[in-house]
Amino acid sequence: MIETELIALLKQKDRAAFKEIVDTSQDMVHNTALGILQNAEDAEDVTQEVFIQVFESVASFKEESKFSTWLYRITVSKAMDHIRKKKRKKRFAFIQSLYGKNDESVIEPPDFFHPGISMENKENAAVLFKAMSRLPPNQKTAFALNKIEGLSYVEIGEVMNLSVSAVDALLHRAKGNLKKMLKDYYTIVNSK
Amino acid sequence: MKDENIHKKIDEAMHSLDNIKKASPRPFLFTRLEARMQKEKNIWEKLASYAARPVIALACICIIIMMNAVVIFSTNNSKNSLVQQNTELAAADEYSQVTTTLYDFENIKP
Repeated sequence: MIETELIALLKQKDRAAFKEIVDTSQDMVHNTALGILQNAEDAEDVTQEVFIQVFESVASFKEESKFSTWLYRITVSKAMDHIRKKKRKKRFAFIQSLYGKNDESVIEPPDFFHPGISMENKENAAVLFKAMSRLPPNQKTAFALNKIEGLSYVEIGEVMNLSVSAVDALLHRAKGNLKKMLKDYYTIVNSK
Repeated sequence: MKDENIHKKIDEAMHSLDNIKKASPRPFLFTRLEARMQKEKNIWEKLASYAARPVIALACICIIIMMNAVVIFSTNNSKNSLVQQNTELAAADEYSQVTTTLYDFENIKP
């Protein structure tokens, strides 16, 4: 079925159309969320939230941009909300631990291994993902969309509402920051 | 030598995502999605049916009436006190009870 027909049917809350959209775009949404969140459970949670949002607010989709661009936008915004929510929870848990209400310490997340990476690149990718998690949100999003989803600068610009030159600058800064973090990491590892 | 090694490691890490394959969610995502949507719908339905119970509705109406009464009485009181204040000032004026200062005598012109 053509995408426009599917969207028209989805606007009428057609279950079959919704199922087809979920089936065809679940990998795209999940992969993007996983790249940003670096946690399979969180990515699944966000993927579900994205499709619920799509189902509920498809009427507001004006078809001025591509459907995939709209989906990416929702995914990125939901993933960012999820990160903010998690940070808030972490801060609250830390405050509780200060007052002795929660004995659990605030645990650093373990190394993330993306399932789509070959065995020989696993260790290097885990180090890169660790560095990525410390990037500012905009840089992390642009880098994930480019490297993990394989989007072009034009497509990233459409998703993030930025010009191509702004995306270029953002990715340049992201790569610079990553190299700096990797250098610090490998210097420490080498000195041991 | 050490620096070369570090730069090599950095390059390897930076290119480690080059041939990455797309990750897929666990199977039957749509089934889980439908279950979640149903659950969320049920929560709203439960909340709506709870709010529509006569006791809750009556309690809400009572609270609204009480809040209205409080607002009406408080505005009446403040109006009364304003009227009283104005009467007192008028009486003071009438019987020249208002204290005059040296400044008032020296600045006769308005």
